[in-house]
Amino acid sequence: MGLAIATPDQRPALFLRFAQLVRRRLFPYALITPSVAVIAGILAFPLGMLVWISLQHYGLRELIQHQGEWVGLGNYQAILADPLFRQVIFRSLAFTFACVALTVGLSTLIALLLLKVRRAVRVIVMSALVFVWATPVVVTVDIWQWMFDYEFGVINYLLTQLHLGNFIHHNWFDNPLQGWTVFVVIVVWGAIPFVTITVYAGLLQVPGELLDAAQVDGAGGWQRFRFVTAPMLKPIFLIVICLSTIWDFGVFNQIYILLNQRPSSDYYTIAIYSYRESFGVTQYGLGAAIAVLLVLVLIVVTLFYVRETVRQAEIA
Amino acid sequence: MNLRKRWVTLVAVAFTLVAAACGSTASNNNSSSQTGTLTVWLMNGSAPQSIVDATNTDFKAKYPNVTVKVEIQQWSDVTTKLDTAFQGSNPPDVMELGNTLVAKYAAAGALLDITGKKTGFDNSATWLQSLTDSCTQGGKLYCVPYYAGSRAIIYRKDFFASAGVAPPDSMDALLTIGQKLMTAHASDPNFSALYFPGKYWYAALPFVWDFGGDIATQSGGKWSGTLDQPSSQQGLTTLQNIVSKLSRADKTGDEAKQDAVFAQGHVAMIIANGWEVGVILDPKAGNPALKDQLGAFPIPSHNAGSTAPVFLGGSDLGISAKSKHQDLAQAWIATLTGNKHMAEMATVGGVIPNTTSMLNLGTGINTTFYNAAKNSKFVPNSQNWASVESANVLPDMLVKIFTKQQDIQTATTAASNRITTILNGGG
Repeated sequence: MGLAIATPDQRPALFLRFAQLVRRRLFPYALITPSVAVIAGILAFPLGMLVWISLQHYGLRELIQHQGEWVGLGNYQAILADPLFRQVIFRSLAFTFACVALTVGLSTLIALLLLKVRRAVRVIVMSALVFVWATPVVVTVDIWQWMFDYEFGVINYLLTQLHLGNFIHHNWFDNPLQGWTVFVVIVVWGAIPFVTITVYAGLLQVPGELLDAAQVDGAGGWQRFRFVTAPMLKPIFLIVICLSTIWDFGVFNQIYILLNQRPSSDYYTIAIYSYRESFGVTQYGLGAAIAVLLVLVLIVVTLFYVRETVRQAEIA
Repeated sequence: MNLRKRWVTLVAVAFTLVAAACGSTASNNNSSSQTGTLTVWLMNGSAPQSIVDATNTDFKAKYPNVTVKVEIQQWSDVTTKLDTAFQGSNPPDVMELGNTLVAKYAAAGALLDITGKKTGFDNSATWLQSLTDSCTQGGKLYCVPYYAGSRAIIYRKDFFASAGVAPPDSMDALLTIGQKLMTAHASDPNFSALYFPGKYWYAALPFVWDFGGDIATQSGGKWSGTLDQPSSQQGLTTLQNIVSKLSRADKTGDEAKQDAVFAQGHVAMIIANGWEVGVILDPKAGNPALKDQLGAFPIPSHNAGSTAPVFLGGSDLGISAKSKHQDLAQAWIATLTGNKHMAEMATVGGVIPNTTSMLNLGTGINTTFYNAAKNSKFVPNSQNWASVESANVLPDMLVKIFTKQQDIQTATTAASNRITTILNGGG
């Protein structure tokens, strides 16, 4: 062995090589250790616990004794067999699709508008957007609740005054389709500021000469957006679509608060369903299993995003 | 005194000192030496603040070094809070539990078995039977009955007089007088003869029970939901007819704001608890001017001349199994449920006291509510009932029926199947 026959004068060189090895190989790991520790603490541990609980029968007795009963994939089988779960998944997906499409579409239009308007108007619109963004969700939902109130709601009053029909004592949540439309409005309204400001920031990066060149080549407004602006904004669209999907798929506050913390099963999203099973019916194992499925769906979305990002980076 | 005797004395003194230093955990009789903090969870709207204060004053007189921390909880999220608290190592020492929730927590081992301490509480021999039943599981006692509440119909005497109607003696008559009231107030688009919010399941049960229906029955240890039985459906059909003709309340709303709406003057009748009279007359939330216009009558049966069975609501007081001050907790409960303060609960609080020996304390409008308690029923006494409540099975069913999203057959079948599953231990 090399080390055994090493003469004293060779030692410093060896030590140096070893130190170099440590620095090159291990130093990067040492650098990321704190972040990894933090991420493990706040993400991996709870997620691990979630998966662990989802494999157990975990009712109130088990909760108090801190000791579940192992059931393997039993909870997952129970959920997948539940027709309500299929409804909830379908509803969550449809709701997410509607919200994301509307959010991104409207935000892009507003961002494009912001490029055209005078500075004063832009400041006013931006301030309004930031104001919406800065208001806590609970407060905004309370305001929306007043507006859509059955007995004293402003919306019912206004629609009646505008002679759009008799909306006195109109219940917006009688009919789930109408109720969900209200929630789409509330969620999109709350999501527009972030997406608009992000897209607007992206628009400012599109070089003017490219657009000018396209115009000289005879491209119209739509063509300039379609073939110049949109491709340049692709990474931004990708990230806002991805983030919006994650947020809208897990929507909870708006529905839970507006329906007085007792939403009927017509208004379950996957997050509310999971919460109901856990804290309502005290089946923490079932609730955890639903949450795991929610995470899995979101991982698929995120993987798509990561793949696209990597592809973008390779092209660049 | 010889040396040996002196040693024994010294050791005895040392022991006493150590025991005293241990404070409340030691079971000595010297109450003034007990120290610690006793945490009590009471529900919003249960005991008036004056009674809580008086109870604490009496308790402090006996245990001057113990701090009592009374925390008021909301009904809407209390089960989540209780689950979380029981899971931890420091749950509240005393907690008020709705009588439909006790079975769940007793079965899970969260509550202290106080069977041996029963006689230490005033009136334990004459406690209301259905509250005692709600505290009992497998022959053991897990809580102390606190108070009961049963519902009747509160009405506006002036509205009745001007429409020329009298309190009805049957469900048909209820509909008839209601329609007369609706006609008399036809110019008011907000008027409801009977204000009945869609999720108000406590008020829907009398209709189910009156026709001989029920939520679920147990045989051979298995529960089966019975809301889809013809008798239950008949009751719900009658109720739906009454609600569709007499109520303009939110068909998807709950009863939380019915007293405030009643106080605003667009409502002739509500199905309510006795204590809600106080809310209606409250100077801030209600309208004190209605004082002489309020009357009450029992929910009539479909058989003329009888009354419908009502849901006997109520609360019990339990002690956490993990409590570090179990003897103090017991002493505090004994003070609140003792003769002195229980009588105040009836006279000041307007609730039905926990003992039959005080049922004569009901006066005026309260008499109707006290009498209603005599013809009362309870939800299935199962540890899983609380989950049926949390899963909103009954409110969901009622909303579907009242909004006509589903017919009664479909809605009751779905609800009944879900109740069967949950009561038998499934999610």
